[in-house]
Amino acid sequence: MSRLVDQARSLSPAGWTVLPRLLWPLVVGVVIAGLIQFVIGPNISGFTSKVMLVAGINIIMAVSLTVVNGFTGQFSMGHAGFMAVGGYVAATITYYGSIKLFGTADFAGGTVSWTGAGAFEGPIVGKGDLLFIGSCIVGGLAAAGAGYIVGLPSLRLRGDYLAIVTLGFGEIVRVLLQGTPDQIQPWKAKEALDVPWYELLLKLGGPKGFNLLPTYTTLFWVYLFVVLTLIVSYRLKNSSTGRAFLSIREDEIAAQAMGVDVTRYKVRAFVLASFFAGMAGGLYAMDIGAINAGDLGFQRSFDFIIMVVLGGLGSISGATLAAVILTILPELLRDLPPIWPAGLVLLAGMAAAQKLRGQWRLRPLIVVAVLTAVLEIARRVCVAKGINIADYRLILYASLLIVMMLSRPQGLFGVREAWELFGRGGKKPAKGAA
Amino acid sequence: MNDQSPYVLDVDEISIAFGGLKAVQSFSMRIPRQGLYGLIGPNGAGKTTCFNLLTGVYRPDKGSVRVDGEPLTGLKPHQIAAKGLSRTFQNIRLFGELSVLDNVKLGSHLRGSHSLGGTVLRSAGYIGQERAIEDRAMDLLSIFNLAGRAQEQAKNLPYGDQRRLEIARALATEPKVLLLDEPAAGMNPQEKIELRTLIRQVRERFKVAILLIEHDMGVVMNLCEHITVLNFGETIARGTPEAVQNDPKVVEAYLGTE
Repeated sequence: MSRLVDQARSLSPAGWTVLPRLLWPLVVGVVIAGLIQFVIGPNISGFTSKVMLVAGINIIMAVSLTVVNGFTGQFSMGHAGFMAVGGYVAATITYYGSIKLFGTADFAGGTVSWTGAGAFEGPIVGKGDLLFIGSCIVGGLAAAGAGYIVGLPSLRLRGDYLAIVTLGFGEIVRVLLQGTPDQIQPWKAKEALDVPWYELLLKLGGPKGFNLLPTYTTLFWVYLFVVLTLIVSYRLKNSSTGRAFLSIREDEIAAQAMGVDVTRYKVRAFVLASFFAGMAGGLYAMDIGAINAGDLGFQRSFDFIIMVVLGGLGSISGATLAAVILTILPELLRDLPPIWPAGLVLLAGMAAAQKLRGQWRLRPLIVVAVLTAVLEIARRVCVAKGINIADYRLILYASLLIVMMLSRPQGLFGVREAWELFGRGGKKPAKGAA
Repeated sequence: MNDQSPYVLDVDEISIAFGGLKAVQSFSMRIPRQGLYGLIGPNGAGKTTCFNLLTGVYRPDKGSVRVDGEPLTGLKPHQIAAKGLSRTFQNIRLFGELSVLDNVKLGSHLRGSHSLGGTVLRSAGYIGQERAIEDRAMDLLSIFNLAGRAQEQAKNLPYGDQRRLEIARALATEPKVLLLDEPAAGMNPQEKIELRTLIRQVRERFKVAILLIEHDMGVVMNLCEHITVLNFGETIARGTPEAVQNDPKVVEAYLGTE
């Protein structure tokens, strides 16, 4: 047998072909984000667009956590901590950067970032946008650095122990950030000009949070990052690196025996996931114009874990769908619409999936039908009696999660992707390129 | 690479104790190129512990192991795999949720380089390597008559196929020495005969030395050129199958004394 490296060289495509493969994700990202921002955006209510924004950020968080918890099977409970690191770094660069470079902490972006009322006169992309995107990327890198520092020693631990260390990390980040000095308020921007950089960047507002940040995050930026995160994660999953991740989850001892450097790949997954979480943190901070470490404690980490588990450990499309559902669900429960249409759609989808697979299983269909009927009747009773469902929405939300975990413990899609569920006997052969 | 050494695997007096239990004591073994050696002994004799010592799962308290003249002392399991020592497991350890093909592809992992940038950007080098890995994996699967099941999840294969897939995966690492831990366990007589042919073919085709642990005397005595017998961690006999079969100590270990 010839050596793998030689064989690989003879099978490599020409060097220039990397360009289209490099560019299409960017083009697709810009097109989709542009459509959402400029075509869908103006036609939906402010509330809907806010929910979409949060859903997008949650998708990035859930998909990145999938790389650690889903692919490598390591249980990280500190994902919100990385979001906080990235968010604060991005916020401090954008806020104090604006003050130092532009003289004020006001918005200095273009049309893509304009969230205020009325039409915006100005360029499509402004100088503030570049500062904002740069700061998000630096935030991601800072979070990745934190991931490396936490990951290198702690990823030798297994299971519960790793979970405790990551949980502790998240809390340490929260406490440290809450101990930072007061921020320099926007109306005192002139004072900030005399303070040196290294001191300025640490004035993060402490327990009051870091407020009055310029808001740049729009549907465009969020969904651009969502598309890129999805493509990068999918490319990772279908690669030798992704196989190494999955082998660690399946059987660590066998993975080592096959020559996979287990610690190295765990750290790799951790660093990557932290990078995306850090960027999402930047988007989050510049969406509401404030970031508070108190909101990014372990409860937030659990939200993301729930999304990953619900979607199916290791499924990118599952995590995406779960992030969307779990963002919308609490909002839907405020003012409950009729349930039976959703039930019908679900039933039809399941029936179609079963027909495609050629095997009929009646029990899940009956369960869904009965559940829909019961919920619909309960809803009508509540409406007739004038009971406000919104008061009970968190109980409903929790019960739905329990039902889901009892009926489908492997999550929505298990380890597979949505489209692979419809094929016969697993995924189609992957041919190197994607 | 040290071509002067006639032995591809050279184990020199390795020992390990777990607390007071001396699991393996002064175990030595030399396997020539493309040798087919056997390691037998009653249950609990320390055979699998020997494999774990060779592959770095445990570190020996004393002694040294060399592959092709290169010492393995202090190396981690994945580094030892890279030096050319690959193994299968007594209780099959496949990556169950992954496809049969992906299992074999993972065997090629240590022969490639996997940069994150190349992976995410789908560089030309990355794609070439991915194609090469796939081609090699498919070749191996055809040799083992598993090509038709390449896309199935490994956990869904019948038992005999899983054993063969483990051997295929181990061979994908391009080893110099292949360690097989009870390859015939759970097989019926027909499968055992096929396994004997397969192991001989593997040795010829992949030019590897093979060391196998086996309880089935039919397989061991028929296949191996040289056998080492362990009992309570100590080597009690070594030699050709005939010599070992007639050794009074071996008979005693297996059947007891009168």
